[in-house]
This record gives sequence, C-alpha cells and structure tokens, in this order.
Amino acid sequence: MLSFATNTLSFATPLIFAALAGYLSERSGVINIALEGKMLLAACLAAIVGAALGPVAGIAAGLAAAVGLSMLHAIATQTYRVDHVVSGMAVNAIAAGAANFVLLQNRDTALAKAVQLPPLGVFQVLALLSVVVIALWVANTRAGLRLVAVGNDPFKARLAGLQPVHIRFAALVGTGLLAGLGGIYLVANSAGNYTDNMTAGRGYIALAALILGGWRPVASLVVCLVFAAFAALSVQFQGQPFLGLAVPGEFWTALPYVVTLIALALAMGRTRAPGGLGRF
Amino acid sequence: MNAASPAVEMRGITKRYGAFTALESVDLVVERGTIHAVVGENGAGKTTLMKALFGSIRPDEGTIAVEGEARTFRSSKEALAAGLGMVSQHYAIIPELSNLQNLMLGAEAGPLISQKAAETRANAIMHTMGFAFDWAKPSGGLSPGDAQKLEILKLLWRNARIMILDEPTAMLSPADSDMLFSSLRRLVDGGATVILVTHRVAEVLDHARSVTVLRAGKGMGTFPTAELTPSSLAELIIGESPPRFTADPPTPGPVRLSAQGLSTKGERGNFACRNVTFHLAAGEVVGVAGVDGNGQRELFEMLMGTRRTESGQLSLDGEKITNASPRARLAAGLACVPEDRHAEAVVEGWNLSDNAILSRQRFDPISQKGTLQSGPIAEWTKRVISAFDVRNPGVKSAIGSLSGGNQQRFVVGRVLGSDPKVILAFQPTRGLDLKATGRIYERIRQQCRAGNTGLVVSFDLEELIQHCDRILVMRDGELLDPGTMDRAVIGRLMVGGA
Amino acid sequence: MKHPYFRLALLVLAAIVAVALLFTTVDRPLPEVWEGFVRGTTGTPIAWTGTLRETTPLLLLGAGVFIALRAGLFNIGIEGQFIVGAACSTWVALNVPGPPGTEPVRMLLAMLAGGVSGALWALPAAWIKAYRNGHEVISTIMLNSIAIALTDFLVAGPLKDPKGASPSTARLSEAMRLPFAFSQGNLQVSSGLLLGIALAVAMYLWLRFRVAGYELRLTGENPTAARAAGVSVARVTMAAMVASGAIGGAAGAIHVLAFEGRFYQGFSPGYGFDALGVALLAAGNSLLLIPAGFLFGFLTKGGASLQVFGVPKGITTIMLGLIILVAAAIRYRRESNDA
Repeated sequence: MLSFATNTLSFATPLIFAALAGYLSERSGVINIALEGKMLLAACLAAIVGAALGPVAGIAAGLAAAVGLSMLHAIATQTYRVDHVVSGMAVNAIAAGAANFVLLQNRDTALAKAVQLPPLGVFQVLALLSVVVIALWVANTRAGLRLVAVGNDPFKARLAGLQPVHIRFAALVGTGLLAGLGGIYLVANSAGNYTDNMTAGRGYIALAALILGGWRPVASLVVCLVFAAFAALSVQFQGQPFLGLAVPGEFWTALPYVVTLIALALAMGRTRAPGGLGRF
Repeated sequence: MNAASPAVEMRGITKRYGAFTALESVDLVVERGTIHAVVGENGAGKTTLMKALFGSIRPDEGTIAVEGEARTFRSSKEALAAGLGMVSQHYAIIPELSNLQNLMLGAEAGPLISQKAAETRANAIMHTMGFAFDWAKPSGGLSPGDAQKLEILKLLWRNARIMILDEPTAMLSPADSDMLFSSLRRLVDGGATVILVTHRVAEVLDHARSVTVLRAGKGMGTFPTAELTPSSLAELIIGESPPRFTADPPTPGPVRLSAQGLSTKGERGNFACRNVTFHLAAGEVVGVAGVDGNGQRELFEMLMGTRRTESGQLSLDGEKITNASPRARLAAGLACVPEDRHAEAVVEGWNLSDNAILSRQRFDPISQKGTLQSGPIAEWTKRVISAFDVRNPGVKSAIGSLSGGNQQRFVVGRVLGSDPKVILAFQPTRGLDLKATGRIYERIRQQCRAGNTGLVVSFDLEELIQHCDRILVMRDGELLDPGTMDRAVIGRLMVGGA
Repeated sequence: MKHPYFRLALLVLAAIVAVALLFTTVDRPLPEVWEGFVRGTTGTPIAWTGTLRETTPLLLLGAGVFIALRAGLFNIGIEGQFIVGAACSTWVALNVPGPPGTEPVRMLLAMLAGGVSGALWALPAAWIKAYRNGHEVISTIMLNSIAIALTDFLVAGPLKDPKGASPSTARLSEAMRLPFAFSQGNLQVSSGLLLGIALAVAMYLWLRFRVAGYELRLTGENPTAARAAGVSVARVTMAAMVASGAIGGAAGAIHVLAFEGRFYQGFSPGYGFDALGVALLAAGNSLLLIPAGFLFGFLTKGGASLQVFGVPKGITTIMLGLIILVAAAIRYRRESNDA
C-alpha cells in the first residue's frame, strides 16, 4: 500500500509540473500542446550535458532548452499569429528531432556515466509547493490578475491598458521553466539516464489533466494524482494476473491514455476554458 | 499649467485611411469643468476624433494640447497617465472577473493586491457618486446601466480629470440615461471635464453647455447649446431637413407568422424569453424596441432556429415550425439579417460570390442536385450587389475588403433579394448613414406591402418610430404591446413603470 | 492564383537552405554530402522510386488531414488511423480466402477494411468534438497511443506470423500486392501514388463544385454563420472527421498492399505528423497536396540517405518542423499585407 502511494506521488510529479506549465500558458490565452516537446528536450539535455559537465550545468541546460522552445512557440503564435495548435505540433517536432539528434551525437557520453541529480523528494516537494504558490499568486498579485484578465479577454484587457503580448511572453517563460523541471524529474527518476522518447505522452496527459481540472491549479493537481494512481496500479500488477485475468503488458501501457480519453468524453471541466484562448 | 487654458484643445486634426478621409482639419476646444458634446451622425468621425485624442490612433496632421500643454499620446496608457479617461461603447469589463478586479485592472495599487485596502478605496469612490456595488461578485451579471457606472468609477479610480464618454446612452433606458447625466453633473461639479460623444440631439441640448458638430469628417463649428434649437442642431448635423417619411398605412392581411407562448433559455440557464406571443400580418413592418439585454437576441435566435424553443409554438402560414431546423425555416421563406455580421452572416476571407449564396446554397437555381451552378450564382451576386449599391473592387474580391457600411448593405441586399415571406432583421441599419437607412427601410416596407411581413429589432427607438407600422416592447424577456407609437409611453414600458 | 505558387517556391528555397544547414553537421566534405543527398533522392531511378515511395503515404495521409482541416479540425490522429487501417487490412488480406484470380477483389476488400477501421478509429474523437466540443487534438493523440499499444499487442500475439521471429504478420503473397502503374528497370511507380493524385483532384472538384463541399468549407471558416445558413455543424464535423479517418485507414491499407506486404511493430515512422505539414502547405487548395507531398517525400528520402553519413533522423524532423512554422508565418505575413 505504501509503495502504491509513493509510486503515485512519483508518477504524478512530472505531470504536476507539466500541468502547471500548461496552466500559465493557457490562462494567458496561449493554447499549448507543446508541453511534451519541452519536457523531452529538457530531459535529454539535462542527462547529456549533466553527464559531461555536472548536475548544475545539466539542469541549467535543460531549463534553457525548455524555455527556448517556449519562446519559439510564443514568437510563432504572438508575433506571427500562427495557429496555436500548428505551432505546438511544430515545436514538438523540433524538440523531438533535436533530442534525437543530441542523443545520437553523444551516444558515448550517455552510456558512459549518468548525471547525479538532486533526490526525488526535492522535486516532489517543489511540485506541490508550486501548486500552492501559483494558486496564491494568481489570486493576490497584480501580475496574477493581469494574467487571468489577458487570458479571458485580450481585447478588453487592451482597453484597460494592458499589453497581452508582453504578459504572454512572460507567462511562457514560466511555462518553459516548469515543463523543464518536469522533464528533468523523469531523468532523476531513472537514475540520471535518458532514453529515447522518454516522455511517452506525459505532456499530453498533463494537458488533459489541466482541462479536466477546469484550468484551476488545485483541481488539476487532483486529476494528476488520479492519473498517476492508474499508472501506479499498472506497476503494481505488471506481469501478474489482474482480477484473475492474464493482462498483457500493452494494456497497462495504454491505460493512462484510455482513462484520459474517457475523461475527455465525459467532458468534465470543458466549460471553464479561458475565453481568450487562441485569440489575439 | 495655465488655469485658464482649456481642458482639451485640438487644432487642424486630419486623419486619412488610404483614399478615405475620416477627419479633415477638425478643431475641438473643450473648456474645463463643463460637459461638452461632440455630435454627428454615424460615420461622421466622432469616434475617430476621440481615438486621436486618446492615443489609440495617430492623426496625420494637427496639434493636441491637454490642459495647456502640447501632448501626443502614443498609447492609451500615456493618455491615462495625463488624466484622460475614455469609456468606449464596448464596455471594457471582463465578465469572469469580479467587480473589484475589473475596477482596478491596469491601475492596481502595487505588485501585491490587498483586498481590504482596495475595497476601502473603491467604497470611498463609490460613495462620492452615490452608486452601490458588491465588489466580490463577478461582473458578468451587471446590467448595461450598472456596467456604465462601473466604467465611470474606473475613471475615478485612475484620477481621470477629463472623461470621454462615447455614445454612453446607446444601451440605456430613459431612466438609466437620466441617472447617468446626474452622475455626470456631479463629476463636473467636482471639477472634472466631460466630453460627451453622441448622435442624440435631445441629450446634447438638455445636458451639455457647448457642442461641436461634425459632418462627414469636417467640423461644422462649436456652439453654446443655449443658442440652439432641436431643429437648428439637427440641420447642422444632417445638412438638410430630415427626410419626412410619409406613412402609408398597411391594409392588414392574413397573419403570416404566429408566435404563441414562446420561451427559451439564455446563456446562463435562466429563461431569457418568457411566454412571447405576437402575430405578424401580411403587409406590416413591426418593430421590437427595448433596452439591450432584455431577451431580444434570444428571441431572434429562437425565430432563426439556432436556439432551442423550450415551450410554445411558432407557425408560418399555418405550418408549425416550432422545432424546425434553420435550413427548414429558410426553405419555408423565413430570412434573417443577424445582429453581428462578422460572426453570423459573412465569411471575411471569401469573395463576394461565395458570400452571396450563403443561406441559399441548397436552393434552386443556386445549386441543382447537389452541384453549384456558376451561371445562376453570377447572376444572383450581381443582383445582391446592385440592390443597395454596394461599392466593391470586384466580384472576386474578399468581402472583408469592403467597408463596414458596404458589407452591411450587401447582407441586407442578400436577405431581401430572396423575397422572403418573413423578414427578420436585427439592427439592420447599424453603422449606416441616414440615407442608406432610409432606403433599406423603404425596401423592407415595399416588400412587406407586397404581401410579406417583417419584424425589426433595434435599440434605436427613433428609427423604429419613424419606419415601422407598429411597435412592441421587449422587457425582461416578455413582449409587451404599448398600443401606441408615442415615444413617452413606449419609453416608460421599456423600463417598467411611470 | 499567383500567391500559393509563389509561397511554395519560397518554401522550397527555405527547404534548400535548411538542407544546407543540415550538411554542416556532418564532418564529411560538403560536395560529397551534397552529392549523396542529390543522388539519394533524385539522382538514379532507384532514388526516384524511393522518393516516390515516401511521397505516396504522405500524399494520401495529407489528403486525409486536409479534408478535416478544411472543416476546422486538426486530425492529428491520422497516425493511429493509418496504423489501425494497415493492421486490419493485412488481416483481411491474409485471411479472406479465394481462388487465384480473385486477388483484385480481395485487395479491394482489404482497402475497404482499412478505410472502415480507420473511420471507426476516428469516431470517438469525432463524437467528442461534435457533441461535447472537446478539443480533438488531445483525444486523437490519445487514440494514437492506444492504437500503437493495441497493434503492438496484436502483432506480438494473435496476429503474429508463427514462422517468424519478430513481431510481424505473415507476408502477403506476390499476387496480393498493388500493381505498379509504371515499371521500367529500376524506376517503379506504384499505383498507390496514382490513387493519391486522383484523391487530391477529386477533393478539389468536390470542394469547389458540390454544395456539400461548400458547406464543409463554410463550417471550417465560420461555424456560426454556417448554422445560420442552415448547415448542421455537428453533422458536418462528424462526417469530415470520419472521412478523414477513413482516408487514413485506407492509406494504411494501400501502404501494406503497395510497399510493405505485411504489418509489423513500428510500421509507421511518424507519417502522421508529416501529413499535417503536407496539408498545411497545401493551404486552401487540395491540388497543392501533390507538390507538397512530393516535397516532404523528397526531404524524408534525403534525410534517410544522409543517415549513411551518420546524420540522425532527428535532423529531418527538426527541418520539417521549421518548414511548417515558416509556412504558417509566411501566410500571416501575406494576409496582413493584403488587408
């Protein structure tokens, strides 16, 4: 039972980081399906740069990569008004290609040693704290109010003297940092190693958690925990018969996706989308 | 800062948009501590002039001085900092935020928001104007009158000394309008300057000390209102005596559209229309007056078929169409000019042909057996364009490249061109000048007299009184019959009481 | 119609620049790399065959994404529909019995199976979008992952070729393969490519001249106006998404019948995402799917050729991602200049 709880928290942590990253972005009005790519590239660089130059350099490189991708998304959507979904998919592709490239160019380094990242507990506490901090920040600061205003109605926010583009760029920096942390956690959770396509769709699942949580930090946290619980279940029963049935490994792999799909079909939380999503 | 200098002094303001001159060498001098009106028809340039003052657009020529100092604002932020504030026609109030949040958005006291301190200050300001607000409530529930008040409080929160109000009574009932003007009076007594942009002659003469008249982008001069009469002011605005519409009373024919006890729900799940009953007879044009937000939109959508009818019945020539789809209603002879043409009636990026067949695409001869027929389509497009003289660079050009007025004429031409049995129009003449408005109503009347019938929803009571055969009033989701065309009676019915 | 061609030319230029940058990552002399790239894509008949082979699924899938895109939908799930269609059609092709000479009918049946399974795979996402207004991006991405897990399981277990070692189905017989449209020496053009071209042309005609095509475009441009004009937006949305899925599934079937001859784990090297790029490049005109598909096929083949030099596949992915961004950004520039 205890291992189930610790597994759940461990699986939830990258989801929480990514969901918060998505929160900042979408609350400011930028649709963000590129969480996956940011996490991936951050994980890749953290592992490889970290193996060569140490954990601090690794973490810095990972975060920088995620923020860089975030800025690319910001420029594409805000300066060039590219459709947010298209930009997100393109950024994901660029991230995946870059991660693949870096990995293959540095095979030897990656195999030689693994980066020594801070212990998992640090990240987990950080994730939970971030939820609280962000929730309080949105409710009680000027910056938080402006973020929500811009995401609800950029046109009216402009009439009130705000500059939605500036605010969105700032929000997307935060998105990069948080998504980067999510990716780095994945590396920390596998003894400092990076494997190809490590994120395995977590970025999308985190976005689904955000949507199901009605774009609210605490509710999204709960959804992340639920999703993680299912993943923990799969680890618990891997290879063993579940309720007397022999269940193939692929079932457990597919489970989080199926759960997400069903949850989306039940359309929980849909109606609370920030009104300015995708709008200029 | 010279105490005797005017609050605002604009000289020789010129603004061009390509070949179109929106403003030509316009002067505006506003004395401190007064209510100064800027008046003109739709499209005369009033809003453009205010945008130039407020920094939203840059004039091509001319100078601006605020309180004696020459200024040019590059953004509304700079204008606000200089003590200028503007309440635009579209309230800048975000429904999901609370009243307090909307009040302070953009002018928060500091990086951290202290609810208590903010509320204290908000209450103080609120009391000076005699308003009452629940600061914690989301602004989504505010009526237009209350939203207007919140906008004024926003200006006070930002210490605005010069306040520009653009068409403030557009969405207000007569009673709300009176309250607005007493608020403005209070502001001015407290030392503020108010610039009132409007097209309503009565307001100007009753409440402003002086008025600047604009006509087709040119300044016609500034006059003390004491020296003007309603007709002399109207003449300055229009340039000629207003066209007299001779009403040829309709010979009442059989009832074509009959509504009995219609009800429907609004966005928030409440009943937006309750028990609406009316009968449109052949030959008549019926107007629906009322303050915006009383269910007109929902009623219109119910008649169009895009909003579910919860109860009641609707029949066209005896056939029940209560639950018919929009397509079935179009086929039955119902046609609509919707309120928001961008959202509902045109595709901006498409050319004129593609837009002309919108809503007719399934009907002969536009299409036969599922295939579009280019010959009939070209003919039809020509008819739509010539109906109201739509100025356009060519049939293949995107409709978005036409001016707003021309787009509106296009849409009305399209709807009327199909000679529908029932014409439903929601603000069909929005943004059009008097001449175009007259022509459109004339055509509607013509087609109705030929045996069809029409329902026009508008927030401009004067226009309805001038052009419709009879008027119904929408209030709180109910459709009421004043039984007269008398402005005062209708006005009272619009707000509910003496 | 000058603009789309001008833009396409600009993009080809951008692609060439991207390719050049790609070369700088390789430590071989530039001329050698360039020669390898050109020879690998269009230098020899074999190269052409390979390039056109890459083009075929990209063109077909691009058309699938395109029709959904015109209705305002992002069918990112075409990857999953492709895989499911491929698996289903392989099973049908292997297991539907028939005497020799009935191969064309059985192949047709297999393609039908592919189309139907692809359509069914798109159905949940279609329903969620049409009736729950749930964004189709996430639901289709989830379906992609489920498709991969499901087919991996099938091909390692129930569908596995008992005679083989790797997770794959048995091979289709030589007769059960789509014939070549053109075959001379080493240059072989599959009829699958012709099917793709025919589809692009048919789509163009349908969208331009049929009322249903008009209404689909209208739904994509302005759903509110569509509703007021009498169009059932929910029905058009469902139809477009399901049709897109059917095309994706059929594309999977064609890929099996024309090129692969079997279905196995890792069947799709990510054609689904590239298909999005192809559809976006085609902008508003389905005829442009043909050159767009070729461009992507050309770059993909080129990237594969360069892997000989140690250039990882990731570079091609980055390039394609950049091309998509540039394409979308150029469109913005053009539109804002027109306005």
